[in-house]
Amino acid sequence: MIKFLRPLGLVLTAVLAVACGSGSSQTAQVSTSTAPGTLSVNPPFRITSLTAATFAAELGASAAGAQLLQLTGAPTCGVDFYYLKFWTLGGAKETTQSSGALMVPTGGAGCSGPRPIVLYAHGTNTDQALNIADITDPTNTEGALIAAAFAAQGYIVVAPNYAGYDISTLGYHPFLDAAQQSGEMMDILAAARTALPKTFASATTDNGKLFLTGYSEGGHVAMATQRAMQAAGATVTAAAPMSGPYALEAFGDAIFFGSVDLGSTVFGPLLTTSYQHAYGNIYAAPTDLYSPTYATGIDTLLPSITPLDTLFADGKLPQTALFDSTTPTVSIPGQPGLSAALTAALAVPSNPANPETPLFAAGFGSPYLLNNSFRVAYAVDAATNPDGAVPTPSAGVPLAAAPPTQTFRLGLYTNDLRNGKWAPTSPTLLCGGDQDPTVFFSVNTQTMGAFWSSLVAAHLITILDVNGAPAGPFAPLQEGFVASQDAQLAFYMSAAGGSLTLAQAEQQLVEGYHTAVAPFCTVAARSFFSQF
Amino acid sequence: MKLTYSTLIAATFACACAAPANADDEVYNNSLRLGAEFVFYHTKADDLTGPYLQSNGIVANFKADNLETLYAAYVRRIWSNFSVELALGYPPLSKVEGRGSPTVGSVPYAGQTVSSARWLSPTVLFEYNFLSENSPLRPYIGVGVNYTAFYDRYSTAAGNAAQGGPTRISLTSSVGPAATAGLSWHISGHWNAYASYSISQVDTGITTDTAGVERRARLHFGPQVLVISGGYSF
Repeated sequence: MIKFLRPLGLVLTAVLAVACGSGSSQTAQVSTSTAPGTLSVNPPFRITSLTAATFAAELGASAAGAQLLQLTGAPTCGVDFYYLKFWTLGGAKETTQSSGALMVPTGGAGCSGPRPIVLYAHGTNTDQALNIADITDPTNTEGALIAAAFAAQGYIVVAPNYAGYDISTLGYHPFLDAAQQSGEMMDILAAARTALPKTFASATTDNGKLFLTGYSEGGHVAMATQRAMQAAGATVTAAAPMSGPYALEAFGDAIFFGSVDLGSTVFGPLLTTSYQHAYGNIYAAPTDLYSPTYATGIDTLLPSITPLDTLFADGKLPQTALFDSTTPTVSIPGQPGLSAALTAALAVPSNPANPETPLFAAGFGSPYLLNNSFRVAYAVDAATNPDGAVPTPSAGVPLAAAPPTQTFRLGLYTNDLRNGKWAPTSPTLLCGGDQDPTVFFSVNTQTMGAFWSSLVAAHLITILDVNGAPAGPFAPLQEGFVASQDAQLAFYMSAAGGSLTLAQAEQQLVEGYHTAVAPFCTVAARSFFSQF
Repeated sequence: MKLTYSTLIAATFACACAAPANADDEVYNNSLRLGAEFVFYHTKADDLTGPYLQSNGIVANFKADNLETLYAAYVRRIWSNFSVELALGYPPLSKVEGRGSPTVGSVPYAGQTVSSARWLSPTVLFEYNFLSENSPLRPYIGVGVNYTAFYDRYSTAAGNAAQGGPTRISLTSSVGPAATAGLSWHISGHWNAYASYSISQVDTGITTDTAGVERRARLHFGPQVLVISGGYSF
């Protein structure tokens, strides 16, 4: 037996000798550092690579994509879509991983070589699994928009998914937290600049020009980032915040005094949770703010992997009823006049002469999201420390003269972008639509225009209302927006669109207005950036 | 490589035929064989599953290219009709070709050589030899066990481009049944020549890791191997 095993042993020795030479190709390098701005995996994962022709064909395959192409123009560049993972800080300075997109143009002249970067901030999204880099996801319409508008036209695009989304284990989203979100924008920019030379598209390089933009929540983020980068001495070539809630204190006051915006039952929980994590003083328990119907679990509800419609259907959130339809009675000791005025101001909007009354009134109901006691405390603070823009604009539309004492309103004040003793020093376009029912144009964009009126007069800041009377270089876009609204209205009233009545069709148009403005402002931003 | 193996076969047989005759009745317990094997893989693979594939309508599949490699074996005579063979091939570099979607995005996939790996695939076969040990020609059949391990696993540039970046490939080892049928020819003295046809079953799981994005598939190979070899008994 031993004799038999000896030759076998020699063979096995040879086998093992061969096996010890095993190896395999290496994948990307994983960083051991968790410092903010560190790229987690380098090179990053390329989700897909599309030539200009393929991208055009894929967009053109759907009606919405074809419309987008008409607006953005046909792609002139291919685009590589990379999925970035990077380290950043949460609202309470927690270390967390976040993710986002790096879209790199590819192709010949104008697509490779030194190219400018567009740093983009997306709008509010309740889908916790959002990945703006995943162009293969048909629901990723915002990713498709910025790819078509910027990357396919030769801009390197960098866009975070935001902490609290996708792979981030933060557990909440630092919604409209100017310090956190501007920090995260700068972190993904640093990570993208690290990644760029290691990508398949390394022939495309950063030419040093940086353009900032973003829509809705992202408009606020873009402007906050502009402020933070200026403070840090970093280059901002130009910026184009779009339809953002910049004047948060004024916007909050407008809402709490009855001008309830569309989407407020989503924004409310996102905001209170964000500020509770950042400042720790918004509530001792969610029932301090929220009605018992919705208080349980509200602090971890959004963003969610459950579709928003399901959350509504399951009774986790009211669709529109932010406030109690029973008007609270305000009673401030020793101030009967103010008490009566506030009680009147907190009534359900009912002015038939105001076309927005139905929209605002929809913000009241039962069950409702926020308690009257919370609303009254906010209103009393607003009356005590009035904002300079709402309800009656004063000269220069300043913030409240003294920081609010009501903690939620103080959070809005802290993150109001009139705060911080700053003004843009690089060319800035503020774009929006003046009928926006979600982020009021007058309270936000026009307030910032009035706040920086001297810079508007000096043409450093441009205010663009895509729904305004066509004028100047953006007139074709303004005409296009109005035409698209007319076409959409006609569609809703057609058989294909559901044969809605005029009133129903107009209601649909209102509900889609905020989203409809986005591509027009985005193309306006690109046109604006192309000057620099 | 074809020239190399053909030359090897020719040289083996030339050596065997030129060997001086020995006492034909002498029985040897050990034998070493050397030759060439021609491997037909018969790949059957599940589609690769993982992020950004099925959701994007991408079908990513594989097939391994057939190849030729060096065959070596040690055979131990148990008694007149039974023997045990430990067969080895020089670990071949198998090239894997993409099958399925013509492109991933705009990156070519189907028909591209997307990866390569070497196989270490020892097989132990228990063989029954027909006829007497004095017969110059002896058919034999055998059954046994094949063990396959993969190493030097590389994703090619085309594979990396399709996968989305530098990709690390893992393949699980496999243990499966094997069977063979062959014919030995006693040339003279210590020298013999052999021809055999073997089949085995190799099941492995492939995992690709591209910047932390993992994708998986099961691969089933039914390698059929034609071996031409010469042997020296002692």
